[in-house]
Amino acid sequence: MQARRVVLGLVALLTVALLAACSGAPVESGSDAAAGSDAASGDAASGAVELQLMGWASSEAENDRLQSVVDNINEAQDGFTLTMNLVPDYDTKLQTSMAGGAPPDVFYIDSFKFPDLVASGSVIPVQNIENPDDFYPNLREAFSSDGEFYCPPKDFSTLGLIYNTDMFDAAGLEYPTTDWTWDDLHAAAEALTDAENGVVGLALSPDMARWLAFLYQAGGSVVNDDFTAMTINSPEAQEALAFYVGLVQDGFAAQPADLSAGWNGEAFGQGAAAMTIEGNWIMPFMTDQFPDINFAVAELPAGPAGKATLSFTVCYDIPANGKNSEAASQAVNLLTNETGMAAWTDLGLAMPTRASLRDGWLEQYPDQEAFLNGAEYAYPWQFRPGFSDVLDTFNSGLQEAMAGTKSVDAVLSDTETVGTEVLNR
Amino acid sequence: MATGIKQQDRQDAIAGWLFMTPTLIIFGIFVFIPILFALYFSLTDWNGISPPGEAAFVGLRNYQDVLFGGGIRQQDFYKALKNTTYFALGVVPVQTALALFLAVVVNQRFLRFKSFFRTAYYFPAITSSVAISLIFLFLYQKDGLINEALSFVTFGAWKPVAWMADARGIFHIWLNWLGVNSERVPWLANTSLLGLSVWDWISGPSIALLAIMLMNTWTTIGTLMVIFLAALQDMPPQVYEAAQMDGAGTWTIFRRITLPLLRPTTFFVVTLGLMGTYQVFDQVYVMSSGGPAKTTLTVAYLVYRSGFNNFEMGMGLAVAILLFIIIFILTMIQRRVTEGEKA
Repeated sequence: MQARRVVLGLVALLTVALLAACSGAPVESGSDAAAGSDAASGDAASGAVELQLMGWASSEAENDRLQSVVDNINEAQDGFTLTMNLVPDYDTKLQTSMAGGAPPDVFYIDSFKFPDLVASGSVIPVQNIENPDDFYPNLREAFSSDGEFYCPPKDFSTLGLIYNTDMFDAAGLEYPTTDWTWDDLHAAAEALTDAENGVVGLALSPDMARWLAFLYQAGGSVVNDDFTAMTINSPEAQEALAFYVGLVQDGFAAQPADLSAGWNGEAFGQGAAAMTIEGNWIMPFMTDQFPDINFAVAELPAGPAGKATLSFTVCYDIPANGKNSEAASQAVNLLTNETGMAAWTDLGLAMPTRASLRDGWLEQYPDQEAFLNGAEYAYPWQFRPGFSDVLDTFNSGLQEAMAGTKSVDAVLSDTETVGTEVLNR
Repeated sequence: MATGIKQQDRQDAIAGWLFMTPTLIIFGIFVFIPILFALYFSLTDWNGISPPGEAAFVGLRNYQDVLFGGGIRQQDFYKALKNTTYFALGVVPVQTALALFLAVVVNQRFLRFKSFFRTAYYFPAITSSVAISLIFLFLYQKDGLINEALSFVTFGAWKPVAWMADARGIFHIWLNWLGVNSERVPWLANTSLLGLSVWDWISGPSIALLAIMLMNTWTTIGTLMVIFLAALQDMPPQVYEAAQMDGAGTWTIFRRITLPLLRPTTFFVVTLGLMGTYQVFDQVYVMSSGGPAKTTLTVAYLVYRSGFNNFEMGMGLAVAILLFIIIFILTMIQRRVTEGEKA
C-alpha cells in the first residue's frame, strides 16, 4: 500500500510538472519579446540590434560569398548585427514563420511569389531605397505594386541559348548569332540530332518558365495588362506552342526525363543534347559537374515578333509589423547598394540588377554577355496572386502535348478557362 | 466487503486516469486541438500567411468549391481522389497478399537463415522513405537499372520508358491495344462526371503513379509481414495437429484454418494499408510533385499544394477534412464486410 502511494504521488508530481512546463512556455517567450523590444527601442544605448536574414540554401560557394558580404556589413556599422539563416524548403518556412507572427527581419522574395505576398499584406516596402533609378526598369517593376517600389532586387538571371561548341564544330555548323531566328534554331536542332547515339539537338523542359520566352517572341501574352482577361488562347500562342512541341515531336528536341536527366542542364552536361535553354545558374553547375564540356551562351533566337526572354529575380524585403523595420531597411540597402551588390555579384553566379555595375561585371564575365543583353528585352517571371493554378494547368497540358496525347489547341483553351476562373476569383 | 471492493475500484480508476493524464495532455495539445483548429479554418478563407485571426468566416464555401464548384479546384480534387483510389486499389491487395505470403514463408519451421530473411524483408520499412524515394528516382530513369533489368529479362523486347515522366494511364494503354480511345468513342471524352470526362476517370494509374505504387508496396510489405508473422506464431498448434489428424493437406490447412484465424489480423493490415495509401504524400513530394500532367497528384499532396503553393490554407484544410471523412467511411465499410463474412 505504501509503494502504491509513492507511485501515485510520483505520477501526480510528473503531471503537475508537465502542466507547469506547458503553461510556462508562453510566459517565457513573452519575456523574450519584451527583451527584444527593449533592445529595439534603445539600440543606441544597449548595443546592436539582432537581425535575421532568411534565404534558401544554394551551392557552398554561393553561401560562403553571401556570408562574407554579410560579415563586411556587420563590421561596417554598429547599428545592427545581421545573422544569416539559409534554409531548405524555403517557401514553407517563410510562410509558417509569417503566419506564426515571427517572420525574419530580412528575407528573399522570388518575383513569382511577390504578388501573393503583397496581396496577403505580410510585407511592406523597404524604407529609403538607395538610388532606385539605377535598377533596370523591368526589374524595378517586378517588385512594385500600385506604383510603389517594394524591395531592391539582389540579382537576376535571364534565359539564354546554351550550346555545345564541340558538337557544332563536329556538325560543321556556324555558332548561333544575335540574328538567329526560330528557323535557324529549328535547322540547327535538326542538324545536330543524332538519333543513333541518343543525342538530340535541344533539351526542352515541359515548363511554362521556358516556353513563355517563345510566346513573347511570337508577340503573344498570357493575360492583358490590367489582369482582367486571359489572352493566351491566341494565334500567336498557338504558333509558339506548335513550334515548341513540334521540335519534340519531330525528334529534334526532348524533355530532360527522356534523356535520363533531372533537368535541362544535366541533359546538356551529359552530352545528350547539343543545345538547351537555361539561365545563368547553369554556369557554376557546368563548371562543377561537367568541366570538360566546351560550351558557350548565345541570346535566344528571335521569333516572328522579335527578341524576348524571361528574367528571374529575387529581392530582399522586410515584414509588415516588424519590430526592426528601420534597421532592416538599412541592412537591405547595404546589401544592395553599389558596393554591397558588386561584392555579391562579383562571384559571377547571377547578374547585378544595377545598370551602373553592368560594364564592370561584363569585363569580368565576358562569356555571359548574352545573358546580360537579355535584360534589355526581358519579361519578368511574374503574374498576379493565385496564378499557380494557371501554371500547373499549363505545365500539365504541355507535358501531355509533348507526349502527343493532347493537342496544342486544347492546352491553350484549358489554360484560358482556368485563368479566367482565377481572374474572376 | 462490498464497499471495500468499490473503494478499490475507485482507487484503480483514479490511478488509471492519473497514469493517462500525461498522454491525454500531449494528445490534446498536439492532436485534438489542432484537429479542431483545422476544422475551424476549413470554414475560413485563411491564406496561410496572414495572422490566422484575420481570416474571414466563409461557411461551407470551401467544401462547396471543392466538391461541386465546377472549376479547377473541383477538377483537381476529383483528379486527386481518382489517382489516390487507383493507388489504394493497386497497392492494398498486393501488399497484403505478398506480406501474408512472406510471413508464411519465413514462419516455416525448417527454413534456414530464417532471421536473415526476416531482417531482409523488414529492412525497407526502417529506411527513411525520402532516402528510398531519392534512390528510386535514379532507378526509374530512362537508362536506369529498372529499365536495364526489364530489358535484360525480356531479351531486349522491353522498350525503356522514362517512368517518372510518363503520364499515360495503363488502362488507357490497354484500351488503345483493344482499339478503344477517346477519338473513336467520342462520348467517353464528351461525357463529363464531376469535372472529369469518363475517359479521364477510367485512365488507370499513370506509369509514373505505377512506379510510386511499386516502390510503396516494396517498402510497406516488411511491416505488414511482421504483423502477420506475430499472428502466425500465436496460432494454437493443437488446431493444426487436429487438422493433420483429420487428413487435411497443406493447402486446405492454409485455406480453412490459417486464413480464418488470421481474419482480425487481416482486417488490421488492410485498414493500415487503406489509411496509409489514402494519405500517401512523401514519395509524391520527393519524386514527382504531382506531375507529370497531375497524374501523381494525390489528395494529401493536394492539401499541401493548396496550403503552401497556392496560399489557400482554408481550401487545403477543407480537402484534409474531406480526406478524413473518406478514410473513415472506407474503414467502416471494410469493417462491415469483414464482420459480415464472419456471420
